[in-house]
Amino acid sequence: MTAPLATKGVSVGYDKPILENIDLEVKQGEILTLLGGSGSGKSTFLRTLAGLTPPLAGEVFLFGESLYELPPEQRAPLLQRIGFAFQQDALFTSMSIEDNIALPLRELTKLPESIVCEMVRMRLALVGLEGLGRRMPSQLSGGQRKRAALARASILDPELIFADEPTAGLDPVVAAGIDETLVKFRDALGMSVIVVSHELESIRATTDRAVMFAKGGIVAAGTLDELEQSHEQAVFEFFHARSA
Amino acid sequence: MPTPAPGTSIERNGRQAIVHVRGDVVVGTARKLHATLRALQRRRDVREVVLDFTDAGRLDSAGVAVVQLAKKGLGRRRTLQLTGLDERKQAAFELAPAPTKARKEPIAVTYLERVGEKVLETGASLRALASLVGSTLHQAMKVLTRRAKLPAGSVGGFVVTMGADAVFIVGLLSFLLGMTIAFQGVVQLNKFGAGVFVGDMVGMSMIREFGPMMTAIVLTGRTGAAIAAELGTMKVGAEIDALTAMGVSPVRFLVVPRLTALTFVGPALTLMAMFIGIAGGMLVAALQLGMRAGVFWDRVVGRVGLHDFTQGIGKSFVFAWIIGFAGAHLGMRATGDASSVGTATTRAVVVSIFCIIVVDAIFATITTLGGW
Ligand SMILES: Nc1ncnc2c1ncn2[C@@H]1O[C@H](COP(=O)(O)OP(=O)(O)O)[C@@H](O)[C@H]1O
Ligand SMILES: [Mg+2]
Repeated sequence: MTAPLATKGVSVGYDKPILENIDLEVKQGEILTLLGGSGSGKSTFLRTLAGLTPPLAGEVFLFGESLYELPPEQRAPLLQRIGFAFQQDALFTSMSIEDNIALPLRELTKLPESIVCEMVRMRLALVGLEGLGRRMPSQLSGGQRKRAALARASILDPELIFADEPTAGLDPVVAAGIDETLVKFRDALGMSVIVVSHELESIRATTDRAVMFAKGGIVAAGTLDELEQSHEQAVFEFFHARSA
Repeated sequence: MPTPAPGTSIERNGRQAIVHVRGDVVVGTARKLHATLRALQRRRDVREVVLDFTDAGRLDSAGVAVVQLAKKGLGRRRTLQLTGLDERKQAAFELAPAPTKARKEPIAVTYLERVGEKVLETGASLRALASLVGSTLHQAMKVLTRRAKLPAGSVGGFVVTMGADAVFIVGLLSFLLGMTIAFQGVVQLNKFGAGVFVGDMVGMSMIREFGPMMTAIVLTGRTGAAIAAELGTMKVGAEIDALTAMGVSPVRFLVVPRLTALTFVGPALTLMAMFIGIAGGMLVAALQLGMRAGVFWDRVVGRVGLHDFTQGIGKSFVFAWIIGFAGAHLGMRATGDASSVGTATTRAVVVSIFCIIVVDAIFATITTLGGW
């Protein structure tokens, strides 16, 4: 079975490369965490994986197909099989939470409205926003908005979901709720999850495998246990320096 | 194992209906199962529905939603059982929340309530406007008495964007307007052999009415809309809150410079519009009647008194303030989201033009009755 996502020699960046020659594979049903300092290119890399920013070099394989080799209009069917929760929540501010979440269903499927409403209700409950669907995004807290964004990104049951710092800046209790949601995505819905995170606690609660970006490339990869044994400086600092 | 084509077969067993689900129940195919289950719900003789997933393929949230809806639809008297679930499907169903009671319909709002709400809203809006005008005057006084200062270069910048950039359009429009009035005037007045009076007519109408009005309408569309959009965007982006939190008065920082610039720009453009309009009339009179420019000008000067001129310029100040305050007020009342900026902008234009025309009518009534 082909991996849902693989990269081969991918370089990303804007004028000059930020990350170079990245080979990475995401397995079916795993949570892969991307680690790395601020500005190390994690968000840019995610955008490239999701078809938003073309790589400077290399190939991105989404469900076995080379994404950027396809003409843009043929990418849509592949992109509909992934979900993206942005670092800024990117909710449509002029629509209620319900309408935000229902938007992919209404635009991309022919499901009758009764099923759409039920799916939205189920997903709101899953992310812990039961009963808040009628609110506007500006009437939610930051953590609630992040959860709404996750609900919208996951409403079509994507096989692969990207979450850019879903718990950054949230208190530990709220963050734990989001971690739980990601685990549910993996265990109950069988999704593969790629998540960018800095919070060691969140990472321990969710991660199957992690990759550390530094110095323009991958400096370490493996399970958390393996990473914790690593003597690579960036990795060592990440796991040990802060607890000191 | 290839998944069979999606579909269902129903087996009846007394009051029980067993639905064998085949194939995937996912976003693309869930409607079929939905339709089948809805049909079963309507049959009174079915007391128990069993959904058999033994031969089913993939199941996604759409599939779970269909089953949830069926549970709700069957009500408490009849039951729905699920069999043949593998572990994954079991987990998917366990995630689904318990069905909720039908959502309460919002209580219908009567016409009277809506009118009442509108009145309260207008009242609140007027109070906010009054306080905006008050604090603008207060802040302007502070600036005049040098107890506070305006952001450096702000007034000059606004005078350029509001005024200099509008010179061409205001000039062109008033020239055309002057010509049009003269055309109409020449045709009508000539019928009475009074063609020379076209100078009186163009002069009076440009200076008392059309100069100020034309300028105000152009300023509303360009400047009033821009003020509402800028301030609305800043309000929505919490920039205005940020100023307040810093202890910087948003009125002094944002509103006073714009209104100060408008106070110069409105009358200056109006003055220009008046004379360019008269020039347009002059051209038509020369072409149609062979009237020399000097003669035309003498008619204008002989007719239009200082008080007419003062009234025209006086109105232009009032119009400028209407435009500025309407834009600032509605922009700063934008809330929450991007669409409210659009609404604020449109309303600023409509409200300004409405107020300008009403104020103009009041002016005309008072001055005519007063014989000024
Ligand atoms: N749109 C852009 N144009 C140019 N440079 C950018 C842009 N967005 C981000 N960058 C730069 O790319 C680098 C990586 O950014 P990013 O991928 O957001 O990092 P991370 O998410 O790891 O913090 C940073 O140095 C940032 O300044
Ligand atoms: Mg980032």
